[in-house]
Amino acid sequence: MGECGRPSARRDSAIPAVTWAVGLGAWLVLVGTGVVLLWSEKTTSGAAALAPERWPRDSALTPEQERATIVMLAHPHCPCTRASLGELASLMALAGTRASAHVLFLAPGDTGEGWEQTELWRTAAAIPGVAVHADRGGREAARFGAATSGQALVYDSAGRLRFRGGITDARGHYGDSVGKGRIVALLGGSADALGVAPVFGCALDEPPAERRR
Amino acid sequence: MTLAAMQTSAPEATRADRLFDEHQDQLFRRAGRIFAPLMVIQWVFGILIAVTFSPYGWAGKVKSIHVHVYAAVLLGAVISSAPLLLSLTRPTWVVTRHVVAIAQMLWSALLIHLTGGRIETHFHVFVSLAFLAFLYRDWRVLVPATLVVVSDHFVRGLLWPESVYGVVNPEWWRFLEHAFWVAFEDAVLVIACVASVREMRDVARHGAEVEGLAAAVGHELRNPLAAVRNATTYISKRLTRVNGGAPPADPRILQFVELADRELETCNKIITNLLDFSRHRPLSVGAWPLRELVDEASSILPPTSVMVVNDVPADLPAPLVDKDQFRQVLVNVIQNAVEATGQNPTSPGRIVISANGGGDGPWRIRVADDGPGVSREIADKIFEPLFTTKTKGTGLGLAIVARIVEAHQGSIRLDSTSGRGTSFVIELPRARAEDQEARPTRRDAKAELPSVSQAPGRT
Repeated sequence: MGECGRPSARRDSAIPAVTWAVGLGAWLVLVGTGVVLLWSEKTTSGAAALAPERWPRDSALTPEQERATIVMLAHPHCPCTRASLGELASLMALAGTRASAHVLFLAPGDTGEGWEQTELWRTAAAIPGVAVHADRGGREAARFGAATSGQALVYDSAGRLRFRGGITDARGHYGDSVGKGRIVALLGGSADALGVAPVFGCALDEPPAERRR
Repeated sequence: MTLAAMQTSAPEATRADRLFDEHQDQLFRRAGRIFAPLMVIQWVFGILIAVTFSPYGWAGKVKSIHVHVYAAVLLGAVISSAPLLLSLTRPTWVVTRHVVAIAQMLWSALLIHLTGGRIETHFHVFVSLAFLAFLYRDWRVLVPATLVVVSDHFVRGLLWPESVYGVVNPEWWRFLEHAFWVAFEDAVLVIACVASVREMRDVARHGAEVEGLAAAVGHELRNPLAAVRNATTYISKRLTRVNGGAPPADPRILQFVELADRELETCNKIITNLLDFSRHRPLSVGAWPLRELVDEASSILPPTSVMVVNDVPADLPAPLVDKDQFRQVLVNVIQNAVEATGQNPTSPGRIVISANGGGDGPWRIRVADDGPGVSREIADKIFEPLFTTKTKGTGLGLAIVARIVEAHQGSIRLDSTSGRGTSFVIELPRARAEDQEARPTRRDAKAELPSVSQAPGRT
């Protein structure tokens, strides 16, 4: 087996070994930089919700009287929200009859008919126990103080806010997360304090410069 | 160590080592030819995933190119660049194998990332380990690959455990559990690699023993055969002189002498083949025009009714070859084509030798005949030593051809369609520019038209 690592001496003399070594070093640095940048982007959370402590009176939705209500604000085109909806499906399967959910898809007024009717809409609509709505002009998002797609809010049967945050642990990343774990604990009756988790997804509103334009 | 190994002589052991090295170099080159396009395919695949599933990031109504697209295009290009370059230019280097192994694992991580951590994408890790082991047959490549996986799990397990374990507070040793399954596959692959290398060594030793036997038989038979040939020549001359130039009374005497002469010539060819097969002369390369080499090879052939057409362009750049050895390649291949064409009773037979390339690409030399063609089964074995379909062949002629072509870093293949002829295609690698400039080519400006050789009076 000693020969397995034997380098061939044939036709290898054109480029000095030191050039190869420097090139490979540069390659490792570039790969490392790329991985760190990607990691950084992936784990940078969006703006947290300033959700009201009580169910907003002016909301078109009404909370459940005998079980918890989950509200998720979503951008219909955000690729990261695919994972949030995947985790919502898993959460609803765990919750059973202990919660119902509303997914509100952003539908800005001037984007044309059907802008919000995307694959994400259909995915959400297919989850048992989930009602899907269009959030015209982002009014419901404003009422619930949500700024990031995938923002989940859980209100108890008395209309009190019990959780605000995301249910993925990174942008577009499937799998268990802090937020999902908190909601599961909440629905299981083993959590009393307000649960908070970072939310990962696209912004629901344009940047200020775009809004002024 | 086996008894056979103990009985192997020192020169045969050295030769076995060389055969093993050559075989391993071929494996590494083949692996390079597979991993190089794989690096490009993974890059394209990564871009397709990003463009299909996460083309844009959004902020309200405003969209911008998603970071996944940048990651797939730029980071993917960076990851693939080093293994691609090394696989194409330095396929036999140790560092190439390790860089390819690291890059494969980085591709696993990037694809897992681009698919949002889908569990299905994690199979890329296990498939890549198997690819590395079976293509390189070097268990050492599994070490950097496994280290990348374990390091990734360890670091992310510390900083972002949910992304790898799916739980928020895993036990400290959880990364070892994940690493265990990779190590489990590694163990199986290491055993397979070691067994495979052992088999390669056995094959190399067997090959060296066959070569040693061929050399011994060739040397031992050559001198007695020369003596017998001298004797038959003497008898033949004496028989003619005894009767004052008239044939002997019994005509069978001369017939038997001629028969002995013919069979001795056949024996001589067999011995020459055996010695050529067992001899490994170092290459003495120079820039030799192919057209001239083909003409020389054609002139050496015994008289035949088959038409041999030299269609090699006179202005084709001259490849760097060992003149004598490459001429032998051409002689053997053309001779083989002549014999194959002669088997076709409905046609007098025609062989065309053509060539192209040189310059920026490899040389491609084609020896095409219009014989009956060969079956797939024969084509697969035709370059193996001792394989022959002829009643009088040694099965060494084309094995010698393959060996010489490989010594030139080239390749040879057989294209054949049953009933529609056979073509041998030899590819020689593109010469380095400095080599070409250093060796002036010898071009024959007059020889622009195809030259045709044919034995006079035999058509």
